[in-house]
Amino acid sequence: MTGALTPLDRPFLPRGVRLHHDRVRGVEVLLGPETALMLDPVGHAVLAEVDGTRDIASISAALADRYAAPVEVIQADVIEFLGNMAAQRLVEVA
Amino acid sequence: MAWSKPIAREVRCGM
Repeated sequence: MTGALTPLDRPFLPRGVRLHHDRVRGVEVLLGPETALMLDPVGHAVLAEVDGTRDIASISAALADRYAAPVEVIQADVIEFLGNMAAQRLVEVA
Repeated sequence: MAWSKPIAREVRCGM
């Protein structure tokens, strides 16, 4: 992790990290080695777009279209959110 | 659904 993410970074879930639907609680969870994060619907929507092929700018544009919200607001939130994930090694970027 | 800051909360062991 070398500083904040940029719109041109292509995030991906590293080996051993995956999205999981917890049927007991009815929530989406990000499972990593020895950790689990419960996601709110927006958090899940962001991570569901993370496929390793698209950059943060493209992901933010797709979310802005879906949520009808300003792309600059969404991109700032996505960078902060994924940056926190990257700090925990739950997301990596190419 | 409206956009809001995405949230991820760590699941505590007891849960």
